Amino acid sequence: MAAIETSAPPVKGRAAGRPTVRRKRTVGQRLRHDWPLLLMSAPALAQLAVFFYWPSSWNIIAFMDYSAYRPFWDNPFVGFAWFERLFSDPYFVPALLNTLKFSALNLMFLFPLSIALALIMHSVVSTKVRSVFQSIVYLPYFFSWVLVVTIFVQVLGADGLVSNWLLGLGGDRLDIMSDPSTFTFLAWLQWAWKDAGWGMIIFLAALASINPSLYEAAAVDGAGRWKRMWHITIPGIRPVIVLLLILHIGNILTVGFEQYQLQRAAVGYQTTEVLDTFVYYRGIQDAAYSFGTAAGLFKGVIGLILILVANNVAHRLGEQGIYQKS
Amino acid sequence: MATPSDGSIFRRRSLFKAAGIGAAGIAGLPVMAACSDIESGSGTSQSTEGFDFLPEYKEYELPVQPDLVGEPPNHPSGFTTYPEPVDGVEAAEGAGEYEITVPMWGTPPSGDDPYFAALQEAWGGTKINLRQADGNTFADTSVQWLQANEFGDAINMFGWMTDAHPNFQETVVNTFYDLTDIVKGDISERWPLLAGEPTASWGQSVWSTDPTDPETARIFGVPQNYSSGPGNGIFVRTDLLEAANLAMPTTVEEVLEVARAWSDGDAGKWAFLGLDYVTPEWFGLASSPGWSFIDGKLVHNCERPEYTEWLEFRRTCWDEGLIHPDTPTGTLDGHALHIAGTILMSQDGISWWADYTNQALTGTATGSIDPIGAIGFNGREPIRYVNKTVGGWTFFNKDLEKEQVEELLDVMNFCSAPYGTKEYELLQYGVEGTHFTYGDDGIPVRTESGTTVVQAPVNFKEMSGQVQVFLTGDPDLVQRRFEYNASVKDFAETDIFAGLRVEGPAEYKTAAQTLLDQQDDVSYGRAELSAIPDMVETFMSAGGEAAREHFTKAYEQAQGN
Repeated sequence: MAAIETSAPPVKGRAAGRPTVRRKRTVGQRLRHDWPLLLMSAPALAQLAVFFYWPSSWNIIAFMDYSAYRPFWDNPFVGFAWFERLFSDPYFVPALLNTLKFSALNLMFLFPLSIALALIMHSVVSTKVRSVFQSIVYLPYFFSWVLVVTIFVQVLGADGLVSNWLLGLGGDRLDIMSDPSTFTFLAWLQWAWKDAGWGMIIFLAALASINPSLYEAAAVDGAGRWKRMWHITIPGIRPVIVLLLILHIGNILTVGFEQYQLQRAAVGYQTTEVLDTFVYYRGIQDAAYSFGTAAGLFKGVIGLILILVANNVAHRLGEQGIYQKS
Repeated sequence: MATPSDGSIFRRRSLFKAAGIGAAGIAGLPVMAACSDIESGSGTSQSTEGFDFLPEYKEYELPVQPDLVGEPPNHPSGFTTYPEPVDGVEAAEGAGEYEITVPMWGTPPSGDDPYFAALQEAWGGTKINLRQADGNTFADTSVQWLQANEFGDAINMFGWMTDAHPNFQETVVNTFYDLTDIVKGDISERWPLLAGEPTASWGQSVWSTDPTDPETARIFGVPQNYSSGPGNGIFVRTDLLEAANLAMPTTVEEVLEVARAWSDGDAGKWAFLGLDYVTPEWFGLASSPGWSFIDGKLVHNCERPEYTEWLEFRRTCWDEGLIHPDTPTGTLDGHALHIAGTILMSQDGISWWADYTNQALTGTATGSIDPIGAIGFNGREPIRYVNKTVGGWTFFNKDLEKEQVEELLDVMNFCSAPYGTKEYELLQYGVEGTHFTYGDDGIPVRTESGTTVVQAPVNFKEMSGQVQVFLTGDPDLVQRRFEYNASVKDFAETDIFAGLRVEGPAEYKTAAQTLLDQQDDVSYGRAELSAIPDMVETFMSAGGEAAREHFTKAYEQAQGN
């Protein structure tokens, strides 16, 4: 995005050496000056207002005993009663811990995988190979979770392709689709297949912005493949890595819904219950909208705090973060 | 990203500040406001008898009498012949267009099919567009549609679906049209078939606007069929049984023996798929809502020793590889597996019997199926679950005008046509030549189009109850069903809440859902049988004990104490 010029234009004929006087413009002047930019921003602002800020304002029902059958302001305020109920719910803490577990694993094992895939892609010279490789790892991102889980059942299920192949070889059936102890690995496998390619694309874009002459100069100076990666590639994409890391941390309590809901019956609720499924089963399905909203608000507040803390740490480490430090 | 200018409110510190103020604002508002306790659904006990505002019952003279005379309600009569159909009702005149949400299992037929056009013409012109929603998720998703008033002009719901609603009584009285003033008294002139529906059916369509005040009872739905007898079962592929030289099991122990003898995981053959909602009867456990009166008090299924026996049985079946190993994933097509012979015994609704038979007759399936009878465990007297109430209701949107409701009732009246009428034939079989042809014995045989469009569950066939329900269809199947019902009727489970519709408290429903999840954990080897006492204790403390009080009051009311 281009920086917006906010100082007054230089006055012609001003004596050389005389200090420039920056006159603060009034709101009206700025509106007249910037109206095209404001006009261009209007659709995005309207979209945000209608689909984000207006719905967000309904978070207030987390503090009400809300019923859809009462006029809105007839719903009594109940303070933090829903939050008290949330924190005392025996299924909330396990759901929170599962969420944190899956988030941490995602961050530790999927995030680096996307970077690794991008680096591999970046090093491939053949356009044809790149194209095939990119399609293979990128296309699953567009599959729905229903399809992903169904494909996994058909391939890795106890009556799936691999099981029947193993049986043919005299082995046993695979049992990883309905075994709670293997669900974490299974979840990682599904993320890796579905999402790693998408993460890779973003890092590839960052890699493309690195000046090729840096590599050429380093090669001339005798830097090998690893040194070039360590001293040019990684520093070149570091701002993007930090940016995505911060956004990931902000979303640490959001690990998705469908993947866990769809496999809940197979491995049990204790293994798959995450905050989003908790909100669905305890809030939406039970029509306890205030309770569900309280859980959602808790998630949002924690996410906001995490994102601000992570951004602050990034700034302290000299990184740009999600916005520049002034 | 551009550097924010000095005046930007989104500077780093400002952002922290803004977030803090926002949080304080949100948090402060309720602190300043008055606090009160949270209200949650405390459950209801709705009487379904003894009202003076129901439609006056006027017997509708049936055009034909059944060939097989049973002992309704649990042993309905049946027809093994097909009569020349007669006109059942005079067509009304209607010009309105309405949308009705209905559950649908399988692929929904196109609204352009001649079946729908023929029906529209036959009942007088009213156009009904069906919003066909997935039957598998209908119960859960309908909770949201109803709260948001997004179900069109009417919705068709089966009774068991209402269990998914945390407080269905509240939903009914706030969402649906109060039909009382339209249908009370003598309605036989305009709606003779609705007037011919059993009074008990209409009684079960009553909810009180104030659950604590019986005087506020009103009619909110048009009842579906009141057909008793078994509503589901474990269906066995009798041809596969015979081929393996095995006999239909008559005890739970024999079920296990047959399952062990037939299952061969390496060959892709398993005895069972699901075992959750029918097999409790084999152990003498109560059907929904799961309470029995034992030794002077109400006892929930999970508190009984038979509950542990039942879970031990399920666990044995799982551990010994008698259940399809992908069953817990919930992604399998049970019908397809049963037809393919992958599964020997399939848990299903009673309609699967007729569906399978029809598919066998039209060549899309082979062999035949029969349900296991009333069987017991360890020499105990068996029980058989039977339908206790009307199948469900069609509810109208409260925002409709009276004239619109009356026009829709004209359509409901048409849909109540009994066996032997032209209306019944059109509803059940469609248009002759397109959806069915007459067989050599004069009985309609569905064409492929008839099977996919008309037989497809569920459309107008379940919109409104028939004045009397019979066993109909393939004569051989009718005979088998008739004999089956005769063999199990004496074991029909007694309804201890007869005359009442009892809805448990919301917390009890939530606790029950958790118990169901835990049952699956034990049944599929994810938890040990030793976990059962803890499961029960958790359930009772999370809502079960409070529910005992609620259900005990209902029991005393039902028993007239």
